[in-house]
Amino acid sequence: MSKVVGIDLGTTNSLVAYVRDGRPEVIRDAAGDGLVPSVVSIDAGGTVFVGREAQRRLLTDAGRTAYSVKRFMGKGFDDVRGEANRFPFAISGDAVVRIGLGDRTFTPPEISAFVLRELKHRAEAFFAAQGEVDHEVDRAVITVPAYFNDAQRTATRDAGRIAGLEVLRIINEPTAASLAYGLDKRHTGVIAVYDLGGGTFDISILRVEDGVFQVLSTNGDTHLGGDDIDHLLMEHIGRGFGQDVRKAVIQAKWDLSERDETTIQVAGSAYSRRVTRAEFESLIAPIVERTLAPCRQALADAGLQPAGIDEVVLVGGSTRIPLVRRRVEELFGKTPHSQLNPDEVVALGAAVQADILVTGNREMLLLDVTPLSLGIETMGGVVSKIILRNSTIPATGSEMFTTGVDNQTAVDIHVVQGERELVADNRSLARFKLRGIPPMPAGLPRVQVQFQIDANGILSVTARELRTEVEQTIEVKPSYGLTDEQVEQMLLDSFEHAEADFDARLLIEARNEAESVIQATEKSLRDPDFAAIEQQELAPGERQKIESIVAGLKMVLNSKDRETIQKWTKALNDATLHLAEVMMNRSVRAALTGKNVNDA
Amino acid sequence: MHFCPQCSKILSLGRHGDFFAFLGVPRKLNLDAADLERRFRELSRQFHPDYFYNATPAERRASLERSSYLNDAYRTLKNPVTRIEYLLKLEGLATAGAEHGGSGRASVPPALLEEVFALNEELDDIRGARSAGAPRDEIAARLARARLPIERKRDEHARDLEALAAKWDASGDRDTLAALHDRILERNYINNLLATIEQEANA
Repeated sequence: MSKVVGIDLGTTNSLVAYVRDGRPEVIRDAAGDGLVPSVVSIDAGGTVFVGREAQRRLLTDAGRTAYSVKRFMGKGFDDVRGEANRFPFAISGDAVVRIGLGDRTFTPPEISAFVLRELKHRAEAFFAAQGEVDHEVDRAVITVPAYFNDAQRTATRDAGRIAGLEVLRIINEPTAASLAYGLDKRHTGVIAVYDLGGGTFDISILRVEDGVFQVLSTNGDTHLGGDDIDHLLMEHIGRGFGQDVRKAVIQAKWDLSERDETTIQVAGSAYSRRVTRAEFESLIAPIVERTLAPCRQALADAGLQPAGIDEVVLVGGSTRIPLVRRRVEELFGKTPHSQLNPDEVVALGAAVQADILVTGNREMLLLDVTPLSLGIETMGGVVSKIILRNSTIPATGSEMFTTGVDNQTAVDIHVVQGERELVADNRSLARFKLRGIPPMPAGLPRVQVQFQIDANGILSVTARELRTEVEQTIEVKPSYGLTDEQVEQMLLDSFEHAEADFDARLLIEARNEAESVIQATEKSLRDPDFAAIEQQELAPGERQKIESIVAGLKMVLNSKDRETIQKWTKALNDATLHLAEVMMNRSVRAALTGKNVNDA
Repeated sequence: MHFCPQCSKILSLGRHGDFFAFLGVPRKLNLDAADLERRFRELSRQFHPDYFYNATPAERRASLERSSYLNDAYRTLKNPVTRIEYLLKLEGLATAGAEHGGSGRASVPPALLEEVFALNEELDDIRGARSAGAPRDEIAARLARARLPIERKRDEHARDLEALAAKWDASGDRDTLAALHDRILERNYINNLLATIEQEANA
């Protein structure tokens, strides 16, 4: 049986997790790192880099490197025009944003598909290493911000399809987090999940009882997160928006979660500036403040006072910021939980949900809601709401339509999402054309249109003329996003590139292995005991030989010649075999005599 | 009945009772909230699409339909007002349309004539004062005062509805139903008035 996984497709980082013996676990690389930076880079030769490798290229080849692409999912160019100049890569498009990397352009789902494919490969390699016969990963649960609209959810599902994954379910990040938390103890009560990530903010309020995780209300802002804090800091220090500056302010932001002051240092420049936590906090206070109004609205929609919340859970890297924790604690009057790693908890929950779907395990059940009201355009550009926000999904709504002209056979329906009265103030989802209405005098046909929001929070529409019982055909024109045909084409394209991508992957893996052997070797050579070891146990010239191979390997490391890199890596491995053995024996001896090697 | 008695497969939602019957609760306006919630959770555990992932397409469709219907039923019956509106619809006394503000605004319910008249006069006055440059605080204070009689009326209505609901549960007579119908229309109208004041406050 092929494998299923849970994936957190984040703005900054992505993770993949699976369930082993009833417990969810994050799948890590050899170095124990679970995070794959959601960064994709394509060099002049067309080689695709994903994750850490791509992140490094942000400093050397920013114009060909895309990050924070989640902000563009399900958006049109007009939505993002204002912030396009924040990014080093080219942003264009119309109803779908297009991202230019070198001479190729990609839609956000295609970029996200590279990240998903990387996670898929990571999981497959992991299962293969575990000795699983069928280690293919072809199905996944993918998480999205709870406040994502239909177009953003659909774009995420498209990304999964392009990556060759059957998306079993799209689930909301805060709800996924609550599933992961709910595993540890048999929770009963009302939980608020505050999720501030790299680019999005969600608040969800859930009631948990008898293993049923029922979302009462959700709210948020899909354009608010750590990215905005970084941008503010960059503006504040006024050294431009280059990647070197971005890296420096992100480091400072991290430091200030631990310390009361730090120094912003931009690599490769003399620039250096001290920042105190107080200064940082007064700078970002407005951003933290913007998360509180959605929290209050979610409380009101759940019909609760802050005192009605039993537990508060923090999710997302930005909740490490002390000011965020303080403000959340003040609002809810509870010390928030953060026992689980806020970066990993969403992926763990996604894995739990994936396991529920394939095993039919009925111990837990997630009942989520639709974050935004669904409505249709009526006379005068006014919205008539069909399904209200915070309705438990799946949900249905229906509306009766008729014709305005004799023998009219088609009707147009404009569907929007949002809370405002006027169509223009809401998000246009799609225009539907109902065809095949039997010719009748005006006003006589009774076309019942049924709106179905499924458990993914994604809309589908069916229609039936009630007098003739004729099922109507519906032509859908999504306002933002890709058509099914475009997604199919992208899937085919990705196969064409798959071979080139595969070679590139092998090269990257060879480099990574070379780097880790170099690192391990250099660590041994730097060992405080090394001089003694060399004198007592190494053959004459052994150290020099190792050093020269390290130097040789470093020279070929950045070439594209995978076989040469592998040859040198093997040479270094062989040359250090004896040294490794000696070091190992020493530590075993030290352990047996109860003495720490470093104490010697 | 939600599952086939012979093969225990989930049944498609071809024929189903109303929301009360579907959830297995009496057709009453005073329901035991905890009981309703417990039934909702129990049925969710039986129908939810999560548990039909490996089932046939027909069963998956049935699970989606049944879960959607269950969610709609629970949402409608959980809230006392939508519960009354739903019951009125079942009894052929629809109030639909009023909630969207459209037809609700069209005619003032006789019981509210006095309040509506006074409010409209006050709102005209406030708008005048605003364009004459009156301070924001003063406008806000006047609007807050204008809310009071309307809010009083709303609370009165809430009590009325409760009493009528109890009466209907005991007697089940048409007159009570008709009274409930009028109260619901008035209630929607009151909410629209409050929304108008709110809009004015945000203007």
